[in-house]
Amino acid sequence: MATREEELLAPYLQVRSVLGADGTPVGPEPDLTPDQLREIYRWMVFLRVHDQRLLTLQRQGRLGTFAPFSGQEACQVGSAYLLEPKDWIFPTYRDHGAMMVHGLPEVNVIRYFMGDEWGSRAPDGVNVFPISIPIATQLNHAVGCAWASKIKGEDAVAVGYVGDGGTSEGDFHEALNFASVFNVPAIIFVQNNRYAISVPLHRQMKSRSIAQRALAYDIPGVRVDGQDVLAVLSVFREAIDRARSGGGPTLIEALTYRYGPHTTSDDPKRYRSQEELEEWQARDPIERMRRYLVAKGLWTEKEDEDLWNWAREQVAAAVAEAEAMGRPDPAGIFDYVYAELPWHLREQKEKLLAELARRQGEVKRHG
Amino acid sequence: MNVPKSTLVQMYRDMVTIRVYEETMAQVYLEGKQPVFNIAAGPVPGEMHLAAGQEPVAVGVCAHLRKDDAVVGTHRPHHFAIAKGVDLKKMTAEIFGKVTGLGRGKGGHMHLFDPEVHFSCSGIVGACIPQAAGMALAFKMRKEPRVAVAFFGEGAANQGAFHEGLNLAALWKLPVVFVVEDNGYAISVPKHKSTAIATNADRAAAYGIPGVYVGENDALAVYEAAGEAIARARRGEGPTLIEVKTYRYFGHFQGDPEVYRPKDEVARLREDDPIQKLKNHMLQSGLFTEAEIAGLEAEAKQRVEEAFAFARASAYPDPSEALMHVFVD
Repeated sequence: MATREEELLAPYLQVRSVLGADGTPVGPEPDLTPDQLREIYRWMVFLRVHDQRLLTLQRQGRLGTFAPFSGQEACQVGSAYLLEPKDWIFPTYRDHGAMMVHGLPEVNVIRYFMGDEWGSRAPDGVNVFPISIPIATQLNHAVGCAWASKIKGEDAVAVGYVGDGGTSEGDFHEALNFASVFNVPAIIFVQNNRYAISVPLHRQMKSRSIAQRALAYDIPGVRVDGQDVLAVLSVFREAIDRARSGGGPTLIEALTYRYGPHTTSDDPKRYRSQEELEEWQARDPIERMRRYLVAKGLWTEKEDEDLWNWAREQVAAAVAEAEAMGRPDPAGIFDYVYAELPWHLREQKEKLLAELARRQGEVKRHG
Repeated sequence: MNVPKSTLVQMYRDMVTIRVYEETMAQVYLEGKQPVFNIAAGPVPGEMHLAAGQEPVAVGVCAHLRKDDAVVGTHRPHHFAIAKGVDLKKMTAEIFGKVTGLGRGKGGHMHLFDPEVHFSCSGIVGACIPQAAGMALAFKMRKEPRVAVAFFGEGAANQGAFHEGLNLAALWKLPVVFVVEDNGYAISVPKHKSTAIATNADRAAAYGIPGVYVGENDALAVYEAAGEAIARARRGEGPTLIEVKTYRYFGHFQGDPEVYRPKDEVARLREDDPIQKLKNHMLQSGLFTEAEIAGLEAEAKQRVEEAFAFARASAYPDPSEALMHVFVD
């Protein structure tokens, strides 16, 4: 007989899936048109190509520190695909996939990772917040945004993205408590990729799932196969409907894996085994969706080849556009925070500009 | 539950001491601050948070603690300090800002530190939670059979520090007990307006540790719950989260207009007084006579009087001490 604890935790340990590892349906398929299914697949392929290309650019010194998301495409697409333009997303540094799905141009993402703050400036009407580098702070921003939506009588939903490591932060607790007590239209989306940089989950928490943390806030907590885009999409559809109809927040934990490093400045071989990586690659979200589409008669090998080529062209064009924009202006670090610069920052800015002018003069003399 | 007579004596004496202490402080605090309220004036300058009504939490837990176990309290710390055995004269002198105080008069009422009995507290809401977890980590690493206790209010349970402290304590199986004093209000905000869940004890499930709810403001009920939790911690079985429903008779601070609660709420709460409840239990147990209990009460009153007299008679620190105890060099 199950103990009381097991009974309590059972719903938070179950993993929702739609597709099996080979792409055959194992659960109820979400109601989507063939065009939507193909679009979802196209997004995942595009994100994979984008991610691999940016990783290469970083290695060539053409991009700053970069956090690749390859392996997590189902989470990126599944979480953002059903959002409406009025909804908001509050991303981490590994969520630029979701940001693009929600409307951020690719060139912004590339400029951001080139160190240009302009990249964080989403075009008007694209409700994407700038990437949050501090861990978990964006969850409070998401809940605040959702609260505003509620107070204004709007039905816009806010999604706060966070990793497994971020759930150990105090901000996670404060955000979930407020989300629940004010009953706001927020979704807290945890991409549990099993490592907080290099620290494995079992060394971060004693709890058996992240979803069970919903118990502490009296809100729904859902666990989903994060390598199964249709499953992620299905749990998001429920959470979005709940939020939009006034039913309050949901905590979603997706079980996923990043194939690459935490960022371009660490070496995952130091803390993960090759076998583990291969195990996850065997459950690749893109390949799984491809098989599903082929089995349904919605996709051909030729279309697939064309798609990968199309994606490469798209990414190459965006990279060319971003590189044509030149280097970001160093004085830009003083802009966009204060409407009017305080005197000490004004002085620093003048000093920097003078120093840059002096160096340029030197280059000219020696050049 | 069979509670030894000596424990009943200790708990009752401490509860009466706390009550008399807080009621005396409420009077002394007003000296010099009237008719126009001036927070800096009188023998006790600064803010004052009193714990009358909340005695059961402090005495029920501390009755199980040894001298070398650690307690970290809150901005409302007097009841914990008294129950943990902090020297009452030095504590009062500290609150008066005198040189004979625990911190030579520098800390005041929210910063009582007594290394003799391993007591500390601070005005930062929720800070005690990771601090107690850190002490417990030290005890565990040094293989000492000691326990740390963090006391905090239900408002603090919504702070990020709560989550971080409980997560690590659970993960590392630390010898610590987290005790939530639910007095119903985070300053002026009622619990249901700040907290997503009815009882914080249920939050233990998020960390995979035991959670215990004590639904009455009763010293013996707290004593029972805390006994099991502290024994678990000492056996190396990890932390426990306890929440106790309690009452605060005074405002959040002295001078609080208390417009956030019904006018007659405190009068109603006082009808179910925890000191009277323990007294009834002691008399019914047949272990005590009325005279014995009256003797404990007189003893408590005398201690409080002596402590206040000591504080009044002590000198203020020399201004040259202002820079002492900050940097080693």
